[in-house]
Amino acid sequence: MQRTLHLSHPPEQGHPSDVLPLIEDILNEMAEADDWPVTLTMRANLILEELVLNTLTHGDTSGLTVIDLELESENHALTIRLSDDGSAFNPLTDAPVPDVSLPLADRPIGGLGVYLVKTMGEELEYRRENDRNHLKLVVHPE
Amino acid sequence: MEFSHDRSGDTLVVTASGRVDGSNASDFLESLQGMFDPGDQRIILDLGGLEYISSAGLRVLLMAAQNLDRQSKSFSICSLTEAVGDVFRISGFDQIINVFPSVEAAKQG
Repeated sequence: MQRTLHLSHPPEQGHPSDVLPLIEDILNEMAEADDWPVTLTMRANLILEELVLNTLTHGDTSGLTVIDLELESENHALTIRLSDDGSAFNPLTDAPVPDVSLPLADRPIGGLGVYLVKTMGEELEYRRENDRNHLKLVVHPE
Repeated sequence: MEFSHDRSGDTLVVTASGRVDGSNASDFLESLQGMFDPGDQRIILDLGGLEYISSAGLRVLLMAAQNLDRQSKSFSICSLTEAVGDVFRISGFDQIINVFPSVEAAKQG
């Protein structure tokens, strides 16, 4: 099953996080149609929330007008393709990564989102092409 | 999200259900901290009804755990669903926060 979603910037609605129900609806539809394990639905939601909110709220968003999302599900593997026309940003290398082996008192509060994307995502690829950021990754249930 | 809490002696059991994401994580933190009393020595968070948690929600749990740890109070989480448990494992949270299968198990901790 394939689905696409076009998110304009600034958001038509009031707040960046208002896009989250749109993502949730599409994923729920795909999960039902392709009988996803619950962990795949969770991972896909989490990854898309991190990546989309990152693009919408972090760094220089002055040139950003659209985020295009392509989702393709086959045999309980979800391929995500995200592209946007914002300034060059590679979340795989340009964001700090926390040390998750630190004890409770020393664990940093930030950076967890990108860490989860990199850990839950496979075949991660970033490229900057035609003044757009392109990110591709594959998500499995485990 | 929906919350309820049940206090018995110095033990507070907080039940949180629904979704916690970037849109409501700050409300989650405020609601959670609003339920803590200075006399609570042991706080158990029952997440059996939690359908979804993103890193924004994990940050709240980390802040609450660190805050209670600094006050030398006991904090544990219980009844995780399969999907939330998967996120806990990958983020390493199951290594820094006590996780139990049920409220009863957490009480016996």
